[in-house]
Amino acid sequence: MREEAGAIFRELAEIVGEDSISGDRADLIPYLQDSYTALMRKEVPYPDFVVMPGSTEQVQGVVRLANKYRMPVYPRSFGVNIAGSAIPYRGGLVLDLKRMKRILEINEDTMTAQIEPGVSWGRLRKEARKKRLDIIPIGGPYDTSPIGNFLLTNITPYSTKYPADRAVTLEAVLPNGEILRTGSQATRSGADLNPYFRYAYGPDITGLFRGSLGNYGIITKMVIRLRPLAEVEKNIYFGFDQLDPALMTMKNIERLEITRYSMLSNRYLSVHIVTPPEKLRSSQEREKVMAMLPPYQLVAGLGGRPRQVALYEEMLEEEIGRTGGRRVEFPEEIRSPLDEMTEGASQKVLRMYAPNAGFAAVIGCVPLSRVKDLNATVRQTVEKYGLTSALDGGPLDPELIVIPYDRCSTVYVEHEILYDPLDTEMVKLINGCLRECYALLVNKYGAVHTMPNKSLLRSMLPSYAGLLTGIKKMVDPNGIMMPGGPYTLEAQLPPGSQEVG
Amino acid sequence: MLADLKDYIYHCLKCGACRIAYPEYMPICPSGERFGFDSYYAIGRVEIARALLEGRLDPDEKLARRVFTCTSCGACDEQCRPAVGNRPLQVIEELKADLVEKGYLPASLKNFLKSVHLYGNPYQKPREARGEWALGSGLEEYAGQEYLLYIGSEGCFDPRAQKIALALVAILQKSGISFGFLGSRESCDGNEVGRIGEKGLFELLAAENIKTFKDLGVSKIITLSPHSYHTFKNDYPQLGGEFEVIHYTGLVNQLIKEGRLKPQKAVKARVTYHDPCFLGRYNGDYQPAREILEAVPGVELLEMERIKRNSFCCSGGGANYFADLLGGGGEDNPARIRVREASETGAQILAVACPGCAVMLNDAPGAEGLEDRIIVRDLAEILLEAL
Repeated sequence: MREEAGAIFRELAEIVGEDSISGDRADLIPYLQDSYTALMRKEVPYPDFVVMPGSTEQVQGVVRLANKYRMPVYPRSFGVNIAGSAIPYRGGLVLDLKRMKRILEINEDTMTAQIEPGVSWGRLRKEARKKRLDIIPIGGPYDTSPIGNFLLTNITPYSTKYPADRAVTLEAVLPNGEILRTGSQATRSGADLNPYFRYAYGPDITGLFRGSLGNYGIITKMVIRLRPLAEVEKNIYFGFDQLDPALMTMKNIERLEITRYSMLSNRYLSVHIVTPPEKLRSSQEREKVMAMLPPYQLVAGLGGRPRQVALYEEMLEEEIGRTGGRRVEFPEEIRSPLDEMTEGASQKVLRMYAPNAGFAAVIGCVPLSRVKDLNATVRQTVEKYGLTSALDGGPLDPELIVIPYDRCSTVYVEHEILYDPLDTEMVKLINGCLRECYALLVNKYGAVHTMPNKSLLRSMLPSYAGLLTGIKKMVDPNGIMMPGGPYTLEAQLPPGSQEVG
Repeated sequence: MLADLKDYIYHCLKCGACRIAYPEYMPICPSGERFGFDSYYAIGRVEIARALLEGRLDPDEKLARRVFTCTSCGACDEQCRPAVGNRPLQVIEELKADLVEKGYLPASLKNFLKSVHLYGNPYQKPREARGEWALGSGLEEYAGQEYLLYIGSEGCFDPRAQKIALALVAILQKSGISFGFLGSRESCDGNEVGRIGEKGLFELLAAENIKTFKDLGVSKIITLSPHSYHTFKNDYPQLGGEFEVIHYTGLVNQLIKEGRLKPQKAVKARVTYHDPCFLGRYNGDYQPAREILEAVPGVELLEMERIKRNSFCCSGGGANYFADLLGGGGEDNPARIRVREASETGAQILAVACPGCAVMLNDAPGAEGLEDRIIVRDLAEILLEAL
């Protein structure tokens, strides 16, 4: 605890009220760890305070105070945190923004919503559907925040029909305490008159915040794209025995430009999504479900008028016939959770980490043609390290997810290695395996990560890294935002801050 | 012991599913909504449990307050189980037991436990006064009738709950079934004592009650409170107390179906029903109360968004009815949140089937400025008006 803690508390209380600040260890400890820090066995110091502002002005007040005392600030939107991105690595202030939870507008005309950081995908979806609009599929859980996901580059792109991120314009409190509005909100009257256009006034400043993980400021409002709900919305599933034809089919159907989204996965993912967690430990139950699932599965989301969807369906069937796949019809108990996961804002997607909740993700974006080899490499590395299934001790086959980006020019590939966090020996092996997998992904396949990982900064061109850190230095002269984390664009270490052990 | 639950503690994904009702996408944790910090949600309490296990945190009064503001409503469990298969409520209840054993619990809960221990009720009323509420009602003492009507401490001592108890007695009398009550021989059921982790006192109370029931030859028990219903039905059998236990809504619904109760007078009102945690979420009894309302002429049943397994707790569970650890909070007060939700349906009556819920929610319409639009009534009161 800092010497000035008493004074800081009093000043914070003037900004947000005493009930919205705590320095009690019992209140601080839930903010110290997430799945990433647990896996990496990182010990993090206690922050000085957790603060819950309720408005942009309060966020601004807290940030100005943090600058005055050179205190690190770690904001979190709805509080779901699995990538080590909102951990107070150097103490200071945790800004818990879940009280900023207003949906300020759902605009049918522009098909947008304006939201605060404490709004979840699920709630946004529910409110949007009341106006025959919907979120653009995210493939992620319902209880995460669209603003948090945007800062994390969105969970996944998931749709080639819509831009890779959902943001239109935003309001942010910069680390220096100034308020910034982007896109068509950038003029004095823009926020009130027309906050609905991203590509205004030159460079895409909204895009600067995408994947910035809080380095450039705290987003307090965002206008987000929605999509129209179609008269008919339908997922159709295709099964494949091999990965290669499944990948080929994904490319071909994306070139037809008729799907709202598509996703390819292996059955190790599907079995987790479909099986209730309490049954997952039973090999009999798993085998029962596995027998109904194809080794690889491609889902295509269609939408439109009935005639349109029927035609699209026919076209996809034709395409599948050419690549050796087959149409798969699932019984309701399988189809329903798969549909729910695919459409996004789902509870079922959380099952991919069940029942032990330990997971290590190997993620990279590559051209589609490299996926098969990359998948084989990850599987070989897993085998080399002798990783075993936490469910039955047998060989571990990672869950596989492939999702197209931007015309399927590149795909997002995710391998999930599930483990039991109580198995400390396995955790050590997984750490080694992860390091090797990432080295191979980057050096052999040119795989790209969508977040500004600090260790990757070292391998970037100095001009590029310099630009990223230069902007950071400009908006965060005291280095108060998110210092010490894996995604920090470190400008300078705030005086008095603690290094992570 | 907390250490026995390592699987649940270390298998928390920190996904926050425990905070949100699915698929309604609405907040589900009363203490979390009241206080906001993660430490007041299951996600934070599980982390507190882990820190205690690892010696990274020492228990103190402040920590205890974070833990005991949990109302044991079970909503977190209901969300987490189908998502990742964890049982946060078990961790929290074991955490409470651990803190009780170490002597860390808020003063109001200490007082609650002391009162139950000394008086057999949390109201510090003499045991002899326990049957006074029934004076003049014609309710007989139990002497081998078919059913024992167990009222519980709220129904015996709280003026609002007493009215509900009297309404139920009048209904049962009209049905012609044979029943009696224990009067001054009745004692606290122990449900809240058990929920907050005072296992020794719970076992003592249960043993006393089981002995009383057995000595009197009781085989069938009707309860006014879902809390009594739950503990008699699910906890007592493990301590040797096997009885046929029914909550009054189950029995009354059955009596209506058999034609032994005939609601004929119209109660013209739009009504919404609040599922009590220990009736619904804990025991899956969602339909009887709704069927009773549907049987009352003139009642239009309107549903809130959070119902049945996703019902939002009134904040009275886990002895908070007595300890009032969730009081205040303005608009974030759980009872006020619930009444706002009820009022948004257009209902004029928020119906409950639990004396604890009735008391907790009773003043919320006034606090919300909705007293002219919605009132809180127990199902027994509504039904009696129709008979």
